[in-house]
Amino acid sequence: MRLRIPLLLALAATAGAAHVGSPDVFHEGNAGPYRLLVTIRPPVVIPGVAEIEIRSSSSGVRELRITPLPMTGVGAKFAPTPDLTRRSIQDPQYFTGSFWMMAFGSWQVRIQADGAQGKGELSVPVPALAFRTEGMQMSLGAALVGLMIFLSLGAVSIVAAGAREGQLEPGVAPAAAQFRSGRRAAAATAVVVAAILYLGNRWWNAEAGQYARYIYKPLQISPSLEADGRLLLRIQDPGWFAARRIDDFIPDHGHLMHLFLIRLPEMERMWHLHPVQIESGLFAHELPALPAGRYQVFADIVHKSGLGETMAAELDLPPLAGKPLTGDDSTGEAPPLSKADHSSTVARLAGGRMVWERDAGPLRTKRATWFRFRVDDNKGAPAKDLELYMGMPGHAAFVRADRSVFAHLHPSGSVPMAALGLTQPENPHAGHAMEAALPPVVSFPYGFPQPGDYRIFVQIKRAGRVETAAFDARVEN
Amino acid sequence: MAQSASIPAIEAARAGEGAAEATERVPWYIWGGVVAVTSAVVGAHWDISWHQSIGRDTFWTPAHIAIYLCGVLAGICSAYLILSTTWGGSRAAWEASVKIWGFRGPLGAFICAWGGIAMLVSAPYDDWWHNAYGLDVKILSPPHLVLGLGLGAVRLGFLILILGCMNRARDEARRKWVWLFLYVGALFVVGVLILIMEHSARSLMHTARFYLLVATAVPFVLATIGRASGFRWASTVLAGVYTALLMLLVWILPLFSAEPKLGPVYQQVTRFIPPEFPLLILAPAVALDWLWPRLGGWNKWLQSAVTGPVFVASFLAVQWPFASFLMLPLARNWFFGAHYFGYFIEPSSAYAQHQFLPAEPPGEFWTVMAWALGGAIVTTRLGLGLGEWMRRIRR
Repeated sequence: MRLRIPLLLALAATAGAAHVGSPDVFHEGNAGPYRLLVTIRPPVVIPGVAEIEIRSSSSGVRELRITPLPMTGVGAKFAPTPDLTRRSIQDPQYFTGSFWMMAFGSWQVRIQADGAQGKGELSVPVPALAFRTEGMQMSLGAALVGLMIFLSLGAVSIVAAGAREGQLEPGVAPAAAQFRSGRRAAAATAVVVAAILYLGNRWWNAEAGQYARYIYKPLQISPSLEADGRLLLRIQDPGWFAARRIDDFIPDHGHLMHLFLIRLPEMERMWHLHPVQIESGLFAHELPALPAGRYQVFADIVHKSGLGETMAAELDLPPLAGKPLTGDDSTGEAPPLSKADHSSTVARLAGGRMVWERDAGPLRTKRATWFRFRVDDNKGAPAKDLELYMGMPGHAAFVRADRSVFAHLHPSGSVPMAALGLTQPENPHAGHAMEAALPPVVSFPYGFPQPGDYRIFVQIKRAGRVETAAFDARVEN
Repeated sequence: MAQSASIPAIEAARAGEGAAEATERVPWYIWGGVVAVTSAVVGAHWDISWHQSIGRDTFWTPAHIAIYLCGVLAGICSAYLILSTTWGGSRAAWEASVKIWGFRGPLGAFICAWGGIAMLVSAPYDDWWHNAYGLDVKILSPPHLVLGLGLGAVRLGFLILILGCMNRARDEARRKWVWLFLYVGALFVVGVLILIMEHSARSLMHTARFYLLVATAVPFVLATIGRASGFRWASTVLAGVYTALLMLLVWILPLFSAEPKLGPVYQQVTRFIPPEFPLLILAPAVALDWLWPRLGGWNKWLQSAVTGPVFVASFLAVQWPFASFLMLPLARNWFFGAHYFGYFIEPSSAYAQHQFLPAEPPGEFWTVMAWALGGAIVTTRLGLGLGEWMRRIRR
């Protein structure tokens, strides 16, 4: 019998689909000849309205039209009428719009560009998930209750008046019998009104309960350590849509799962690993050498519908001798979080350094920003030996200090590459860089969802070796 | 009739004369009411068609404006009637009024006002509902029911206003009031069938639940309006107006272009999608009009006990085979409109495949049918009672 050490501490999953606590979608891509940076803010309820902001870094774009449609299935065949975005008067390369997302699941927004250089099209995957039920503001609740009481009393009074005087000939005053009749009618109506209110309340609760079932619940992951040092990751569905499966994952730049292990509480070490699926809903990985302690787990997967999910958990580990890192697995170090320098823009690498080319001024929430990182060699010159790491010039993980936010980004943005591939089935390398020689600067479009302190891990590959740099950011509202 | 304390005889006579004179011609607020209830019913069907064809709407779509117009006209008419009766100084109006919370006015005006306020209340409630649970893609939701109650109350208010005048009018004048009353009553039938529209699609027409719904909803309105009007062929007129209006919608709406502005789009839509072909309630309506005079002296429960089965049997006899016909290619044309599908109808659904959803298992089917029979009997009894009561309305 195999020894299994139960190490799970908590299943602290929070909503965020392909990320945790970071529902906005950021994507840079080409709509034909035009380079567009797209920001999509999905609604928190479905059906609901998503907001879209598009900045063109190419000149000559005259108009942009947007069309939301499901990523796959019959609904992906017929598109609704495209909507024209609004062009900013102050900034003619900045466009805004909104669109309805009517059903849960994996959607895409098709952007059709037209301008001086002709036409082009870009599709951006976006998940449609309900994250919460809005409460009712006290003032609105009070007003509605007041009106409900008014209407209830009004109904009782009207029926009473009808019974009392409605059948009297004009000019005839009601007698005692009519008053009695009116009172009886009022009592009966009060009972009916009370019954209607009671049944209405039950109906409302039933509707709210039904909707609550649609509120997104991420897959749960239970990590455990085998005696031989293997990490087992069991995935469970906490119940959401029956159509969601745990055996339909598709490779995202070559791997079914991207696992981030971050040492707690100081986040001074991180590992980017790629467990393999050994059976439906069960992944395993030979862990590398790890110091004892508590770890945060973030595990990214992508369903075949294109819907990406991030599972979160914590686990305690004993000291492990482990196996050497192989394949695309990588690790990195950073200063302890308690000694974070939020103004530092330089991180040391094994062969040089990485410089965060940061704009002056504070970082703000909800603002699509280019995070640019330049790699210098040992002599301080821009590095010329960058290579693709899993098909990308770089990978970044943005983690809030309290781990309520986690986003795994690529230079094309926050969209899983596997989902992007579904929007462009004719191009299996959609979103992946194919250049042989890479520039020394790697950049990621992103916007912080909430204020606070963040740690940014940036991973690049040079001369066959993955290097990781860490930066700290303080974000204001 | 219960005893009443009379005011001095001369004043009573004058009041009666004034009221009678007031019923000779149809006042502007009654015409306003007729426009209001027509606008609401057409607006509701237009709005449903809008959601099936275009999907996305705003506060200011023409269909919404048609619905709001009902509330606005109800507000204007009822405010005028209540304020002018309370402070206007017309003795005839004062004497043909009821008193509520210190205000005076015709009973129907208060009901209209209640309906208008309920419509107003439904707006912020519905807005919050969309923010909390998303845009509803169904007709029956709590805020929509509040709106429906408001619209129903406006309809009832104008019906009672007309009824007050009709019941006070003399022979010749009474006839035009009867037709107005029947017309507004017919819009009640249309309104009730809108409420159950989601559960009365043709794929459901071979389930017992469909018959339960129709048998519970329709006989009540037919009995109420029929008995209140005292008109021999009232049910036939009501069902006839409903049938004509729905057929016009089936034929007219697709004449106008429309394209979906929401996804997922499962059906290519280029025209406004009309409602389904009207239910064949004309057949049971004629049967009831033929039947009721023959039950004249009977107790109302006995009348209902006969009416309920006649309604269910006659409706079943025509609607069941007609539903089968609607599934055939023969019905997929402009006349019957069985080929129109909203953009969100999935091609694999039974509805899109022109198929019936499975009926209940035999035991359950006949139990639900028994409930349909019971529902028709009970609602007919309620309708007959209410109709009798309405027949005596004078104010």
